Amino acid sequence: MTINDLAQACRWKLLAGEDGIDNPVDGCYVGDLLSWVMGRAQSGNVWLTVMGNLNAIAVAALADVSGIVLCEDSALDQDAKKRADMQGIPVYSCGPNLYQTAAGVYEQLSGLAEQLAKI
Amino acid sequence: MRELSLNVMDIAQNSISAGAGLITIEVREDRGEDTLSISIRDNGRGMTPEQVEHVTDPFFTTRTTRSVGLGVPLFKMEAEMTGGSFSIQSKLGEGTVTTAVFKPSSVDMIPLGDINGTVSMLVLMNPELDFIFQRSLITQEGDLREFDLRTTQLREVLGGDVPLNAPDVTQWINEYLAENTAELLAGEA
Repeated sequence: MTINDLAQACRWKLLAGEDGIDNPVDGCYVGDLLSWVMGRAQSGNVWLTVMGNLNAIAVAALADVSGIVLCEDSALDQDAKKRADMQGIPVYSCGPNLYQTAAGVYEQLSGLAEQLAKI
Repeated sequence: MRELSLNVMDIAQNSISAGAGLITIEVREDRGEDTLSISIRDNGRGMTPEQVEHVTDPFFTTRTTRSVGLGVPLFKMEAEMTGGSFSIQSKLGEGTVTTAVFKPSSVDMIPLGDINGTVSMLVLMNPELDFIFQRSLITQEGDLREFDLRTTQLREVLGGDVPLNAPDVTQWINEYLAENTAELLAGEA
């Protein structure tokens, strides 16, 4: 699944990094303490957070995540947007909180949503 | 980072990489003003004004192994998140001073953590370098408490034969720091 597919299914809004929307996603990581996330988020994860600053973009680049989702409509700083565009790191925004968003991601990645649709 | 002492370790590593022979670490708390100030001063090779300007940008790094450097940017962010401030002053050929000021009462304050462990580890791992560690606390009542550790003084006492990373020396440093910290924080922590 690409991050674009996931974003469509979860109704996230793209804020930056359009070049990266075809990045594949096969997992999810949730966290706001950047130094913690830096060492733990895995390549291929979609990263759910409320940190929309330049350092978050650097962490995303370093951890090679598929993209960032800023939950609860948390803001993306101007310089962070510019850098996400340059690096091709897709950044989305959504209204639901981290838990609700993670649950939505789980539904999609586990195939649960697909099964539910058949019922 | 989970502890500010880890940031201190990280910044001190920058000083070591910059060829510093003397690194001074200051931790100053003022309970009345609600500030905790951490500064790391070195006599390393320093930076150009252009480098200083870019050093808080995580996509600017002197590393060649990867293109992202987050040590300084995270330290700055952590200070600013508490309502504090951050500065770097540097002069080519003279050295660098990195200062982060925190507001400990902020909900986003990160604990100082094991600063003594950081200092002890720095001395242990770099016995050929000199370190000064200064810690002070101004209590709510305005009393100043302070102590310091100076490796130059340790060298004088030890003479030339005993290195600073000898096990007995490390143990003495740990006990000295622990005792003085306990005295500094008595009735305040």
